[in-house]
Amino acid sequence: MYRYILKRLVLTVPVLFGIATMVFVLMFVIPGDPVRLLMGQHGDPDTEAVIREELGLDRPFHVQYVRFLGRLLRGDLGRSYRQRRDVKEILFERLPATLKLGTAALGLAVLIGITAGVLAALNRNKPVDGAVMVASLIGISTPVFWLGLMLMLVFAARLKWLPVAGYGTAGDLRHLALPAVSLSMVYIGYIARMTRSSLLEVIGMEFLRTARAKGLGPRAAVVKHGLKNALIPIVTVIGLNFAGLLGGAVATETVFAWPGIGRAMVDAIRMRDVPVIEGGVILLSLSFVFINLLVDISYCAIDPRVKLEE
Amino acid sequence: MRPTAANRFLDRLCSTAGRVVLTLSLAAAVVHGCGKPVEKRDIATLRYRLSSDPSTLDPAHSTSTDSGVVVLKVFEGLVRFVPETLEIVPAVAQSYDVSPDGLTYTFRLREGVRFHNGGEVTAEDFRYSFERVLDRRTRSERRWVLEEIEGAEEFSSGETEAVSGIDVLGRHVLQLRLRRPFAPFLAQLCMEGASAVPREEVEKWGEDFTSHPVGCGPFKFVSWKHDVEVVIEAFDDYFGGPPKLRRVAFKVLPETSVALEEYLAGELDFMDQLPPGRVVDLRQNYPDEVKIWPILATYYFGFNHEKEPFKGNRKLRQAFNYAVDREGICDVIQEGVPVPATGGVLPPGMPGYDPDLKGYEYDPDMARRLMAEAGYPNGEGLPVITLWYNTDPGHQRICEYVQHCLKKVGVRVKLKNIDTAAYWQAMYAGEPAFFRTGWIADIPDPDNFLYTLLDSKQFGAAGNSTWYSNPDFDKLVEEARSSTDWTERQRLYREAERIAVDDAAWLFVYYYRDVAMVKRHVKGIRFSRQGDFAIPLDDVYIDAGG
Repeated sequence: MYRYILKRLVLTVPVLFGIATMVFVLMFVIPGDPVRLLMGQHGDPDTEAVIREELGLDRPFHVQYVRFLGRLLRGDLGRSYRQRRDVKEILFERLPATLKLGTAALGLAVLIGITAGVLAALNRNKPVDGAVMVASLIGISTPVFWLGLMLMLVFAARLKWLPVAGYGTAGDLRHLALPAVSLSMVYIGYIARMTRSSLLEVIGMEFLRTARAKGLGPRAAVVKHGLKNALIPIVTVIGLNFAGLLGGAVATETVFAWPGIGRAMVDAIRMRDVPVIEGGVILLSLSFVFINLLVDISYCAIDPRVKLEE
Repeated sequence: MRPTAANRFLDRLCSTAGRVVLTLSLAAAVVHGCGKPVEKRDIATLRYRLSSDPSTLDPAHSTSTDSGVVVLKVFEGLVRFVPETLEIVPAVAQSYDVSPDGLTYTFRLREGVRFHNGGEVTAEDFRYSFERVLDRRTRSERRWVLEEIEGAEEFSSGETEAVSGIDVLGRHVLQLRLRRPFAPFLAQLCMEGASAVPREEVEKWGEDFTSHPVGCGPFKFVSWKHDVEVVIEAFDDYFGGPPKLRRVAFKVLPETSVALEEYLAGELDFMDQLPPGRVVDLRQNYPDEVKIWPILATYYFGFNHEKEPFKGNRKLRQAFNYAVDREGICDVIQEGVPVPATGGVLPPGMPGYDPDLKGYEYDPDMARRLMAEAGYPNGEGLPVITLWYNTDPGHQRICEYVQHCLKKVGVRVKLKNIDTAAYWQAMYAGEPAFFRTGWIADIPDPDNFLYTLLDSKQFGAAGNSTWYSNPDFDKLVEEARSSTDWTERQRLYREAERIAVDDAAWLFVYYYRDVAMVKRHVKGIRFSRQGDFAIPLDDVYIDAGG
């Protein structure tokens, strides 16, 4: 397994190189001039030229690209054009908020999604199954932005149970509740549906009959033995969703004024703050790669028949 | 991991799921139980909404209102504007003289003015601050504010080591010599870029001065949690006396509808902007809290004067101006906030504004006649015109309405919506023939509209994105900006403005008014004609019984 992990880690290098190249090329070709945006609407051309030169944006494509790669190799993500701060500092100061929201949302999604999926599978074609499937479809189809606003109107504006928006202090769970719930809805839907279909696949298998023969009740047999065997696709969905959550919670972060990486990235894209965009994409790609690796390793733990060396 | 350990883990996971659900339910109950009564009056702190995280708190780089709103409270310059009248009055300077030829400005500084780090503000600090902005290594976006000082250009290009036009005549006397008479100079000195910064702090922090700003304004910087909050607190040694507020917390809330809910829940005392579609009902329900006041800004559509079909076709441009129902835009789409631009380029309140200047009223019949005279009767022969605008629901509604108005006189318009970054690049490269834009004055001087946006020396990125050019106009503006006699300047600018209106240089739409909500307990607010970002907070206080 260690060889496999090492191999995957080595493979990360060309993956990151590819991603870095792609994001650099994209940022080079899309319209929008970062210096123009820095200057505001009243720019003086001399200063604009000076800034362009200082940032190296007057150099040809290949020179900028080589400089960018050189920086990356040194582990330097550069400085934000706009904030004049290290990109690493900008991203890492937002990472705790992103992780906090992502973990809470995914925790809720796993807990509720798996429970709902198991209930649906155990009650196949009964009203409970129908209710879970309809609810999960609604969860998947509801725009996060709209749901966030509705939750806010009900629980913050009308009932005044929770704060409207904002981050609060580090340990403040009151500010976390609404964004986590609104963000988790879509993932609850995915996980519930995946759990149900995976469980239904294993429910008729012989090992469950054996478990029943040993005296376990139908529910206990499904929960204790069926669920474990149905976990691989569920864990895959959870892993991919978590990686997606790290950079993809933009709508929730915007509605709830949550200071996460997604919001920083969108602001950077809007203002063509290229180093922040490049750094953010690389950080998120890295998290995708590592979460995928963790998911693969977890297969071993879930199913002993899986051998990563192969 | 061994399979047996994994199994044990999964067993535990499954069997504890029920307990976790129970725990969460209890936690939810606790959260509910401790739901606090939201309205809690803190008379020392003003909570002010920011629509985005400031990009900088360094005055040398402050170009946006979200930076300016904080920077203007922390830093101070030689002179400043009176918010309501925009008259220029001394700030750190106690007094100033301008030589009769308009070339030399002598400032006598107040003694004992302190930076927030305790150091005294001297003429040498202003020399350092101005040279810092002019130094190309600073990469200041506001270099133009000081570029009229003699020797500024040579210093910026590295030819000289000091700016020859800045003289320190004593610890508290500063003299600035200009390369030519330039009347708007004093107003430019009121901008953030001309603020005093302490050398030792700038040198200590380098580029990170943006995160550790130290000025001599009424409030000192406390903390900045990016995308969350900027906090400043009263500077008790402020030369104008300690502010009445103890703290100001600028809360970053990008979504306007969410900010409104925060405001209504009592979590904000001041909020700029109102969500589209809510102004009318908020004015009805909170008449004492919704504030609307004029600012120096004009919303317009640009014709590219170098591109067909507008190039050299004044009657066509005039026809467009007559075809658009400004009242409809202001009353219906903008909910009665702005004022129709039926005058000229300059918004009401701008020094030099000409109340007698008649621009364009809504007159579709006149528009049709002019279309025919322009060679396009009922729009025949006129190609489909693409109207560019930057992504924003408000702009979109206005553009759709303009499209509808123009269709009535036979003009077919196609809308093109792109993001602001790409839109600015295209606009300043002269790509669109017809586009929406607007201008909020940097300074209360007609020059900031007429020269910056319409003079032919300003083509492209410098400000004239319509490539409007009229030698008579240019001559009048050039004369006006170098004159030191205000009456004469006003006459010249007004004459120039009439030329631009007669040429239908733009499609004039409306003059902005700013809108904000302010809690009734907030007293002493003086609304600035520059916009809400320039509202001074030194005299603001929170009335416990208000």
